[in-house]
Amino acid sequence: MESELKIDPRIIEEFLQINKNILDAPKLVAAPDEISLEMTPYDVVYSEGKMRLLHFNSDKQKQVRTPLLIAYALINRYHILDIHPQKSWVRNMLDQGLDVYMIDWGTPTKMDRYLGFDDYVNSYMDNCVDFILNESSVEKVSLQGYCTGGTLATVYTALHPNKIKNLVLTAPVIDGSKDSTVVANLAKHMDVDKMVDVIGNMPPEFMYYVFSILKPFEQGLEKYVQFFKNIHNKEYVENFIRVEKWLSDTPPIPGELFREWVKNVYQENLLIRNQMNVAGKVVDLKNISMPVFTQVAVGDHLVSPECSMPIHYAVSTEDKTLRIYATGHVGMIASSFSQKRVLPELGQWLKERSEK
Amino acid sequence: MASSEDYKKSIGYYKHVSLFWTDLLSLMSSRPHSLLSTGPLRKFGVNAKKVNTEMIEINQELAEFNARLSEYYKQLTDTWNEAQKQFNKKVPEIPTDTEHLDSTKRIWIDIFENYFTRLFDSPEFAENFGKMVSSELELAKHWNNIISLMMESANMPTKKEIDELYKELHLLRKRVAKLEKIASIGGSANGK
Repeated sequence: MESELKIDPRIIEEFLQINKNILDAPKLVAAPDEISLEMTPYDVVYSEGKMRLLHFNSDKQKQVRTPLLIAYALINRYHILDIHPQKSWVRNMLDQGLDVYMIDWGTPTKMDRYLGFDDYVNSYMDNCVDFILNESSVEKVSLQGYCTGGTLATVYTALHPNKIKNLVLTAPVIDGSKDSTVVANLAKHMDVDKMVDVIGNMPPEFMYYVFSILKPFEQGLEKYVQFFKNIHNKEYVENFIRVEKWLSDTPPIPGELFREWVKNVYQENLLIRNQMNVAGKVVDLKNISMPVFTQVAVGDHLVSPECSMPIHYAVSTEDKTLRIYATGHVGMIASSFSQKRVLPELGQWLKERSEK
Repeated sequence: MASSEDYKKSIGYYKHVSLFWTDLLSLMSSRPHSLLSTGPLRKFGVNAKKVNTEMIEINQELAEFNARLSEYYKQLTDTWNEAQKQFNKKVPEIPTDTEHLDSTKRIWIDIFENYFTRLFDSPEFAENFGKMVSSELELAKHWNNIISLMMESANMPTKKEIDELYKELHLLRKRVAKLEKIASIGGSANGK
């Protein structure tokens, strides 16, 4: 008996079209190496070691005197906060009349393996804050921390509360015991001492592995199928390549900082219990008595909302706001959604609490 | 198939025999060699025994690493098979038109994503992965030790010595920054 498999000709047509798109791709899209991720112009106003303090230029009238300092995460680079003119966190804040500074942690080398929380918080961040205070002739700054930068911002504010006017935490890594993500699962079972003692800095390859198992089929397969399907959509592919380039640029994390990080936040969970120690001083979250705005995303698969939200209840301030958005880790900072929902709310909140 | 206990015993025996002969040969030949005490070959002669020990230990670690790697692939394969079974149950027939093909692809992605995320979220996966990375680091440690011995033989700084230098530099930078801060406070206090 002869069996015949009837295939819809549209399937073959679609298959051939994707093949054609793959062949056409190099003619239509710039290679990641050929594009620059720099968007909004800035001046490097201060630097120390590999760290740089960026001050973004704006032609908009400043509406408040209190500057905003953004502490970007330790994973990937700061470009995601200014990835596209229509999706730029930085540009939106500037357009709302804020004076924006950002810390670029740079790319640590083996020479930086002994840098720890003390160096990042009490030297780099504190020197940046002092520089801004001096430059802007104000007494306090607003500090925003994103992801792991949120943890640094939290520790900094608990140790130097007198310099912070408002604290904004965007998907901060706070309570490792409640973090239900794959990242936390791996971090809890990691022999971090051995890793740092043998390798020195935490290698980017390790982070790439972690990224690859977050959503392996959606992100590792379907994303690229969609890219080739949409190869003639200029805006889509341009955005895709920019985000891909950003994703593949992860600097190493200094060994000591990584060791303290994994132990204090994920394995022993000392930060949320007010038992973390930095340079002999206890990080007491009750010292955070200024206004605090916490932003979390329901679909965050890198830092689960349960990991971020405890900070809202741990601080001593009564002026605190918790916003839960129906988006993901990156969607909260670099999407049309963030432009329409997240940023207007934050800008309004900051302006109401800043020095005029 | 030999048990891991037998394997350990035979590695241990090999280690003993090898060290016995390198020790004995070193003792027998040390006097004439000592004449060349300033040359790199003399140092290498002394370090050769340590290199040998490192190589034997690498073999021991390789067994542990291979066991962890096999378990890692087993976990992935088992999960793939389970996900595939589930997919076959949901989609018993291959779709032949574009609408069904798209929805089938969506079902395939969702099922596989769910199964694999469950695996990566499990303590069993994280525990084995942690141990696999740990045994990989042990291998790297032995490799570093061998390189250090080579560097030492060539009269060049070892990784440990460079690390000490980095640490010194780090502490020195901190001291300078602290002194600069004190100086700047003193400066403004004096009204300068």
